Amino acid sequence: MQILKNNSSQVVIEAKNLRKEYQGKLALKGLNLEIGPGEIFCLLGQNGAGKSTTINLFLGFIKPTSGAAYINGLEVASNVTRIKESLAYIPENVMLYPNLTGIENLSLFSSLAGFKYSDKELRQYLENAGLPAEAAPRRVSGYSKGMRQKVGIAIAVAKHAKVLLLDEPTSGLDPKASNEFSELLLNLSNTGTAIFMATHDIFRSKAVGTRVGIMREGELVEVLPASDLEANELEKVYLNHMHL
Amino acid sequence: MVRDIAKKEFLSTLRDSRFIALSILVLLLLLAATLVGLYSYQKQQEEREVAQQTVNDQFANSTERHPHRMAHYGSYAFRPRSPLSFLDFGLDSYTGSSVYMEAHRQNSANFSQAQQSSSLIRFGEMTVAFVLQMLIPLLIIFLCFGAFTQEKETGTLKLLLSQGISMRKLAWAKIKGYSKIVALVVAPALILVSVILFAQGNFEVNGDILLRFFLFILTYLFYFFIFIVISVVVSALNERSSTSLVTLLGTWILCCIIIPKASANLGSNLYTTPTKAEMDAEVHQEVAKGIDGHNSKDERAETLKQELFKQYGVNSLEELPVNFDGIVMAAGEKHSSKVYEEHFDELTETFENQNRISEYAGFFNPYLAVRNLSMGISGSDFNHYIHFLKEAEEYRYNQSQKLNYIQATQLGYGDKETRLSSDTWKEFQAFSYETPPARWALQNHLVSIAALFVWLIAVIVIGNKLIDKTKVA
Amino acid sequence: MNQFSTLLKYEWLNFKADKGLLILTSLALLAGLYGIYYGTSEIERQQENIAQLEIIAQENIEEMKDKYPGDADAGDLGYYHYTFAINEPDSWAGLSLGQRDLNPYYLKLRLLNLQSQIYDTDNINPLKILSGNFDLAFVFVYLFPLLIIGLCFNILSIEKEQGTLPLLLSQPIGLPIIVGAKLVFRIIIVFTLALFLSIVAMWWAQVVPDIRIVIWIAAICMNCLFWFGVTFLVAALQKNSAFNSVVLLGIWLGLTIIIPSLLNIYVAVKQPVPQALDLTIKQREEVHGGWDKPKKETMERFFIHHPEWQHTAPIEGRFDWRWYYAFQHLGDVAVEDLAIDYQESLRKRHKLANQLDFLSIPVNVQTTLNAIAASDLPSHLNFIRSATQHHDAIRAFYYPFLFNQIPFTHAEYQDEPEHSFMSTPDFTTANKGLVKLFISTLLVFIAGFLIFKLKGASVK
Repeated sequence: MQILKNNSSQVVIEAKNLRKEYQGKLALKGLNLEIGPGEIFCLLGQNGAGKSTTINLFLGFIKPTSGAAYINGLEVASNVTRIKESLAYIPENVMLYPNLTGIENLSLFSSLAGFKYSDKELRQYLENAGLPAEAAPRRVSGYSKGMRQKVGIAIAVAKHAKVLLLDEPTSGLDPKASNEFSELLLNLSNTGTAIFMATHDIFRSKAVGTRVGIMREGELVEVLPASDLEANELEKVYLNHMHL
Repeated sequence: MVRDIAKKEFLSTLRDSRFIALSILVLLLLLAATLVGLYSYQKQQEEREVAQQTVNDQFANSTERHPHRMAHYGSYAFRPRSPLSFLDFGLDSYTGSSVYMEAHRQNSANFSQAQQSSSLIRFGEMTVAFVLQMLIPLLIIFLCFGAFTQEKETGTLKLLLSQGISMRKLAWAKIKGYSKIVALVVAPALILVSVILFAQGNFEVNGDILLRFFLFILTYLFYFFIFIVISVVVSALNERSSTSLVTLLGTWILCCIIIPKASANLGSNLYTTPTKAEMDAEVHQEVAKGIDGHNSKDERAETLKQELFKQYGVNSLEELPVNFDGIVMAAGEKHSSKVYEEHFDELTETFENQNRISEYAGFFNPYLAVRNLSMGISGSDFNHYIHFLKEAEEYRYNQSQKLNYIQATQLGYGDKETRLSSDTWKEFQAFSYETPPARWALQNHLVSIAALFVWLIAVIVIGNKLIDKTKVA
Repeated sequence: MNQFSTLLKYEWLNFKADKGLLILTSLALLAGLYGIYYGTSEIERQQENIAQLEIIAQENIEEMKDKYPGDADAGDLGYYHYTFAINEPDSWAGLSLGQRDLNPYYLKLRLLNLQSQIYDTDNINPLKILSGNFDLAFVFVYLFPLLIIGLCFNILSIEKEQGTLPLLLSQPIGLPIIVGAKLVFRIIIVFTLALFLSIVAMWWAQVVPDIRIVIWIAAICMNCLFWFGVTFLVAALQKNSAFNSVVLLGIWLGLTIIIPSLLNIYVAVKQPVPQALDLTIKQREEVHGGWDKPKKETMERFFIHHPEWQHTAPIEGRFDWRWYYAFQHLGDVAVEDLAIDYQESLRKRHKLANQLDFLSIPVNVQTTLNAIAASDLPSHLNFIRSATQHHDAIRAFYYPFLFNQIPFTHAEYQDEPEHSFMSTPDFTTANKGLVKLFISTLLVFIAGFLIFKLKGASVK
């Protein structure tokens, strides 16, 4: 098995022979992966291919059957709390405390991560994430999915993490918001954030990714540098793997 | 289509192992409560029968006594338990089991079970009625809280409705399915009760017991039905199973724990119960204005004397063909009993006023309606208790008067020495008590019956309206 | 610790914004205030009634003075004159009424046979007794556990169900801290409420400020902690909210109603109480048999118990009060063993129930509170014992008048023995109750921690 190296010498997201078994069924069959600062790694694959399992392993939400995941050089399974100081996460469906306002939600999560922001700063983060200014002081129970997703983005950004883990973050966003989100990712990557994004969206992967991985039945079957390909070529490769 | 859905609910519930476990637990408690109830019923009944027989024999075989001594020797009334009270102890554990009946004195009913227990009894008793009134509704809630919310959460509701069935039909189909399940849980216990009632010769089965048992079952079937409909409707009105469940559990707590206690407490706060000492003192004062049986020199006795002289055309007590002692005693007893009865009725009325709060609260809380009705049908309610006390008082009065009559007719004036043989006492009919018929029991609970019917109609009518208004998406 | 206080702060924000929780807490507060009002007003009413009894007793004396304007025969007074033995409520009784509503708190006593007077009951509405008292103890024993369950049943499951757990856990924070902070927040709320209600109740009832304040508060707080422990234990199973609420209500029902009712059956079978019916019947036979026995025989039997009156004037004639009261007393003597047996077996029954109450914390707490408030069964039995002693004192007061045949003048009423009794709190039972409560609380928390450790944290 080849080790998929990134260009830089530094590694912030790393998987070594990472395996996960659920009741005798392998969900992840020995993943090896290295992602460096400023890289955007897009993981494509069908539902059940093992994308979310991979992200959950990096988050320490589940324990690997064998092998190890590393964030910033620390093994995840034995540093479940510490690794979270250096990573941010946006789930597919950002769920917040419905009785709290957008600002309060952001303030809560930032405080837990150790950041104390002023009200003005909090509003700024939310606005930067694309949340309308008038929505920020309203209760989240009235938010649409897209608005919650934007609060999720603000939470991730406000954490100033070295690693950003994304699980289908653009689902539910309208095209305009998606584009803004892509821009945001590129900006973060420019500041040196390593980004790992599981997605269905082939075109966006091509647009923002530095590398694109294709996962099938728990195996990383292909890793391509995004710059080498045209979007339709990537789609062809992807579909080839799916129909294998 | 309705039948298919009812069958689907029935089968899928039977496949839910958690529900099966709970049902078995409830069923076991129900069976245990039946047997424990029967055991304690039989034990108490036997004790009381033996005690009653003992005092009856003692009276009949009493030595030679002066009739007024015999009136003070008196007798006891032991309250036999109503046959169906092994299903619902009702107030039986809190009411006195024996009354001492003597001349010129109305004694309290003493020795209740509760007084002989530690504070444990205040937490409630394990009876069939307890399981039926409190636990089965909880089981129903658990069974039905997800009736619609689960279908909403999994999205099957829209799928079902797209097949052309209406919400209303769907709801009734579910109610039908759940009713079957509840019947399945309760039936074995009812069969056991029937076996106990009819097969083993524990009871002299007569039409009245059968009628009461039938009414007992009917009451609870209505009650379960009401709870099933409420649960299904609440489930239809909620979006999430957890909120539906919490709403229903909160309702249960309010209906079965808080309101019964609060309404009984409120009743006693609103209508003050006089103490027995106060009541006795008042009775004593009022009686003092009447004839004192022990004091024939009394003014009113004098009037009575003059009347008798006129009636028999004589001039002295010795000439009277009847013994004036007995006549005065009888007049005194009549007067004091009348005064006592007035006060007792007043006390009963105070208690009834207190209880009325709980009775009318039945319109807001089906638990209370059923609790009252169930006690009434089982013969363990307040009315049956008072009925017994009144019968005992009537017996006491008649016995005293009969002895006064003997004194007036067989003994001479001022005779304190003559003792009559025990043959005289054997002629007295011993105290025996018959539980009044079911019809009488029901008459006392018209409010609760009305409340139950109002609930029955309300859940159907309002339930239908609410279900029609339910938003599917 | 910083994260902890952040969580506390946002729990507060959440709590303030959640109408359901606010309603629940306000209801508990209202129920508590009503419980205080009800309990204290019930005791006030008993006190009013007790004051009324003094008037009734005084009226009886006036009536006697009217009836016997000159010197009276003590025998007549023994028959017609009565006094009351009173079980004065402890200042704490309003907080936990216990059995004070069920057992009479006064007894009307005459010189007659004691056993025919001592089991009389007061006018009680059985339906009200069946329904029980809505006192502060009820609020703490029954309703606070429900409040705690209502506040905590979804303490962890809601984070999963509303989907906030993944985002929360992607912060550098462990599950134990999250659950711990939420639990501590709720404990603060409930403790504040419990302490507030307790203090209001103590102030309202004007309780005697002694060590019982500490015992009461310790019992109440530990009771709350126990139930928090139970919710913690169930949260550790990491099931959904519906499962939690059913299981928690099931535990509540089991501990508060089902286990006590089963214990009641067990205790009744295991520690039978000899039928008091036998006692009353035997006592009647003895007393009424007295009329038919030769006077000499009766007096000789009486003098065995009261040799001091042996050498008084012999009994002659058809009727003599001395002889009458002698056989009245012999009626008591005849059933003395039965009476002691009856009361002892009631004590044993209470003791057995106490020994088993570790099986049900609500019973344990109720027992503890009743013991503090001196409103339990032993308190009543102590009152009966005291009333018996009072009856002895009445006899000792009247016998000289009877046997020395001294006329009873109006001045003598003043010297009649007076009865005063107030049950003393049972600290032994209360302290034992606290120890059992402490151990149970510790056990549920340890079990909860173990399950949390064993199961680990799962996001889904």
